[in-house]
Amino acid sequence: MSAATATHSTVAARAWPWRGVLLPLVILAVWQAWGVVGGNVRTPLPTRVVGAAGDLIASGDLPWGIAQSLGRVFLGFAVAALIAIPLGLAMGAFRSVERNVDPLIESFRPIAAIAILPLAILWLGTGTAAAVMIVAYAAFFPIVVNTVAGAKRVEPTLLRAAATMGLSRFATLRTVVIPAALPAIGIGLRIGMGVAWTAIVAAELAVGAKAGGGNTGGIGQMMFVFYAYSIELNRIVVCMIAVGLVALVLDRAIRLGMRLLMPWAPR
Amino acid sequence: MAVFFVVWALIARWTANPVLLPSPLAVGEAFAALAGDLELFRHAGISFGRMLISVGIAVAIAIPLGLAMGLSRTLDGIVDPTIEVLRPISGIAWIPLALFIFGIGNALPVFIMTYTAFFPILLGTVAGVHGVDRKLIDAARTMGVPYRAIVMRVVAPAALPSLLVALRLGVASSWTAVVAAELIGAPSGLGYAVEWYRELLATPQVMAFIAMIGILGYLTDRAVRALATRFTPWAVETRQGHS
Amino acid sequence: MGAAMMKTVPRIDALHHSASARIAAPKLRLEGVCKRFDVSAAQATVAVADFTLDIARGEFLVIVGPSGCGKTTVLNVLAGLEAPTGGAVTIDGRAIRGPGPDRGVMFQDYALFPWHTVWGNVEFGLRHGPAGSGLDADARRKRVASYVDLVGLSGSEAKYPHQLSGGMRQRVALARLMANEPDVLLMDEPLAALDAQTRIILQEELLRIWGQDRPAAERRTVVFITHAIDEAVFLADRVAVMTSHPGRIKAVIDVDLPRPRNDATRALPQFQALTQHIWSLIRDEAYRATVT
Repeated sequence: MSAATATHSTVAARAWPWRGVLLPLVILAVWQAWGVVGGNVRTPLPTRVVGAAGDLIASGDLPWGIAQSLGRVFLGFAVAALIAIPLGLAMGAFRSVERNVDPLIESFRPIAAIAILPLAILWLGTGTAAAVMIVAYAAFFPIVVNTVAGAKRVEPTLLRAAATMGLSRFATLRTVVIPAALPAIGIGLRIGMGVAWTAIVAAELAVGAKAGGGNTGGIGQMMFVFYAYSIELNRIVVCMIAVGLVALVLDRAIRLGMRLLMPWAPR
Repeated sequence: MAVFFVVWALIARWTANPVLLPSPLAVGEAFAALAGDLELFRHAGISFGRMLISVGIAVAIAIPLGLAMGLSRTLDGIVDPTIEVLRPISGIAWIPLALFIFGIGNALPVFIMTYTAFFPILLGTVAGVHGVDRKLIDAARTMGVPYRAIVMRVVAPAALPSLLVALRLGVASSWTAVVAAELIGAPSGLGYAVEWYRELLATPQVMAFIAMIGILGYLTDRAVRALATRFTPWAVETRQGHS
Repeated sequence: MGAAMMKTVPRIDALHHSASARIAAPKLRLEGVCKRFDVSAAQATVAVADFTLDIARGEFLVIVGPSGCGKTTVLNVLAGLEAPTGGAVTIDGRAIRGPGPDRGVMFQDYALFPWHTVWGNVEFGLRHGPAGSGLDADARRKRVASYVDLVGLSGSEAKYPHQLSGGMRQRVALARLMANEPDVLLMDEPLAALDAQTRIILQEELLRIWGQDRPAAERRTVVFITHAIDEAVFLADRVAVMTSHPGRIKAVIDVDLPRPRNDATRALPQFQALTQHIWSLIRDEAYRATVT
């Protein structure tokens, strides 16, 4: 954004700071009106959604569901990162590694994690193990792809500078490639976390749909139960909002984490 | 790559449980059989068709909207916060509610896939417009070119590379969603087939369909990339790591 | 009347041209070096051919030539970052086989590590490379501090590169280079990215840090590349003029301007004469580079 547009936007923002709220308010109002006039007892309405939210939080169901899902996400994410980052660095630094591993990665990348779910269920049952496997699979690809890109795109002059100071290949990898690749790794982690969260919700939904009821848990399953069993549409909406909020928080958390890891980056 | 198949075959031999892990040969045979009686292609075609429709709808809405938002700060200020609130709610999370509204059938996957593809394409278009080098626009203005022509002949071409990258992303996300949506809520398609055969414990077929998902995903991505090269040959293909 | 009032403009004559490019017991020697790049199976670019040059111990040698004449290739060969396709390049008589801290390099874009502070950057070669072996933490700290001070950056040790101006970054790059106490300093157009005013200041700073106020025996050998002729004349003991396509030495000019050099030096008629002379040697090629 050039200086010209930046000033323009600040002026515009100052002129009408609340315009961002306009559209959501209109939508909510129309929704509420339509529901009251044309809907029935089951129709989800903003007011009812708020009420349902209160119920779910108070009863502990919502926090518990989120906690379960998050637990699996963190586990799967950690597994993915622990494999993907070293592998990505090795691939970025050594042509031979890349040549051998890349075809495998590129073959599986278009296969979404959720497609693997039936296989995972076949192998590991419908519990947490399968869920973690799906999450790890999903998060693996963005992390490894971005790590490789980061390791490969280290500025050549930095590598040359290290060479002229007499550093060994390994020392260069350790002291130059890794710090230089950190921003790209951060992007990979952010995207990976986003994909992981989506994957767990999808997996839990699917498991809920197939395994039916039960408390194997997570927010995805909660949502399905509200759809298929208790038909609580307002609660479904609450879960959807919760999914969105958690996604936002996770994203911010990773961004914050990366900022702490890279104190040298300009704001 | 070859090593992968060899290792697979060995492990399959070792576990000797064709339900748990069939040999690559068995999967190959299943694939051939399914292809032979066209069942593979029938489902593939259905899924692919849904994706085309979804991406088409998403593009039809997202690109004009994105262009408008990129050009007008006011519009951007009004619409963007709503977008940012909806975006983290993944298309997948909409499935239960959408199931209720649409029921099981064709509409459900299309809705989910359109929703999923919409956001990357919209945001990519806006970013593309914002990323247009100010100097290019200024140069056109100093030549007396009117606003409309600037939008059509300067902004749009300049934003095209970014837009096509966003399209790739949108298509890929949409393809991911197709599987989830069909697995849960459709009577046909690749996702449905995967689940159907799993319930029959016919693992070779399950893997064959999964492979098909991968192949189609890869081909579609290649197609969009070819599109990008054809229409924006001047753009340096920054092999972004995003996936 | 007119003729008497005019300053006598000194003439550059054959005396200023080194009798040959050869010196006895040179610090660095390039002998018949040629470097060919294979662009594709059918096409090759010969960057440098039949390049012969000796560089004396402790001298400040500047290589100047039109854009694209292969100056950077010569530097890379001296640095050991590239191997010559033909010919020999030696330091103290030993063949150069690869890069090392004995030939420190200063790059045009500074190549500072963005994740290290000024201190971290200057310390880098001592900390992770062979130049620092045998130094304990305390000795290392002292050395880093002395070089940070030498380049005039005391007080900025904790700053990150993105917080520094172009001139400051160049000083950091220089301090980092010198902290390794190399025998030879190789500089690839280090001042090119700076604005004209900063450049003038840094030229003098460079000479000060190099030790132009000190006896010749204490100075390190410098090979400096630039396309700015006035910069070359200001800094150098000798100027090697290159031609391009392929690159080779056209002439080596002795610069007998007195040291220490400063603003007054630029006003000397001898300075003008040398600059004009060198320009006349390159001019045609420079013109051709703009139309082909």
